[in-house]
Amino acid sequence: MGMTQEELEVLEPDHVIDAIGEVCPHTLNMALAGLKKAKIGEVVMEVTDHSIATKTIPAAMKMNKYGEVLGIISKKGEYKIYLKKN
Amino acid sequence: MGFTPEFFLYAAIFGLTYGILLQKADFCFVASVRDFISVKDSRVGKGVLILVATVLLGWGTVLTLGLASIEQVWTTPIGWSNLIGGILFGVGMTIAGSCASGTLYRSGMGYIHFWIVLASMIVGNLLFSFIYNPWAEDYYFKPLLVTDQGYSLFQLNLPYLFLPLLIVGLMIFIAIRQFGIKGFFQGFKESFADFKGNPFKKEHWDIRLVAALFGITATVQFVMMSSISLTGPETRIGGVALSLIFGDQFVYNNVYLNQMFAGFPVIGLGPEETLVIFIIVGAFLSAILSGQFRIRKPKAARMPYAIGGGLIMGVSSRMAPGCNIANIVGASGLSVSSIIVIIGMVIGVVIVTAFVFKMPLLLFQKMDMDMEFEMES
Repeated sequence: MGMTQEELEVLEPDHVIDAIGEVCPHTLNMALAGLKKAKIGEVVMEVTDHSIATKTIPAAMKMNKYGEVLGIISKKGEYKIYLKKN
Repeated sequence: MGFTPEFFLYAAIFGLTYGILLQKADFCFVASVRDFISVKDSRVGKGVLILVATVLLGWGTVLTLGLASIEQVWTTPIGWSNLIGGILFGVGMTIAGSCASGTLYRSGMGYIHFWIVLASMIVGNLLFSFIYNPWAEDYYFKPLLVTDQGYSLFQLNLPYLFLPLLIVGLMIFIAIRQFGIKGFFQGFKESFADFKGNPFKKEHWDIRLVAALFGITATVQFVMMSSISLTGPETRIGGVALSLIFGDQFVYNNVYLNQMFAGFPVIGLGPEETLVIFIIVGAFLSAILSGQFRIRKPKAARMPYAIGGGLIMGVSSRMAPGCNIANIVGASGLSVSSIIVIIGMVIGVVIVTAFVFKMPLLLFQKMDMDMEFEMES
């Protein structure tokens, strides 16, 4: 856990989830569904403009260990949340 | 509370403060229950408990000091209507994706989804006003009524601070058992971590600190003005809109709206309505300062959730009565009806989380990687 913003910027995710325009609980459900599809070790990135997803998704990872949070890039109300499937 | 300029000024200041606080902590009451049962995330839940503790102690203190009187505590008649209204409100807010206060701060952050929820809530409020007399009054409130008068446990013949100290003492005892004394005080230290540098440029403030500040603001508002409420004022905003279209007499002829504007010199926006509008303004300014403002366009497929959830919230907020914030603060003012409404809301959130969104309920289940969770497109 914990990559720098520069490392995240150049990271190529294996799966991208477009959750722009989505709100809870869809933002979290989509991240979980994306992780379910991914293979172990693959990187899933969710793009969202729902600020609270930056709290709920990491909390979910901490609790159910589906994956780990590599980091979050936040830019002008849009967030890229990087997850790695465990 | 009067209609003099200073009350409008206080209302604007309180509204701005609430808006900034809610936005900075992403203080979402749906999440406090939903995220706890689905992913055992207690972040917002802790915030709600700290809000309750602060308001309990705040109300107890100002009543003891004689700064406010027991008549100022918001209570409503007690009945099964509190529970049913609460459950429906819980259902509505979970479908909509946001509670009454969440809808306001997110509207200020540029979420078009929540502009639609807010408009639908006001339409729901007005729909209720048209079924109130005679149907809702005769077939809902009256048969379900248990006591004619509202009741706050502060009216018990006990020192005002007795119950707050007892309840908060119990909460601290449980927290220390859970986290240890060191962990308990570490929490205090951590909650100030976001205040290094210019806090307004930060995207996020710790919810525990925000909850305490919110509770203190609500206590000051209680002394200076009124107990915080959102959906009552929103109903009146809807009433003002109706009066602009159909004229004042149309509004006065409606029994429910007539009651809502009792005590108003004219049909117009008073201090409480000003407060609600300034919550949106506060959240807008707060989001602009931290670079989080953005016009967020919703997906068309989610519109039924926004409109349906908003309508349910609007109607049920009149049935309960009151929204999440009014009743959490009301329950902390030991109002029996509010305590029942809050129990109802929790039930409503659990029902929708489990059966509509079919989220994995980790709180009740063992961890299972193959657990099915459905994703609607």
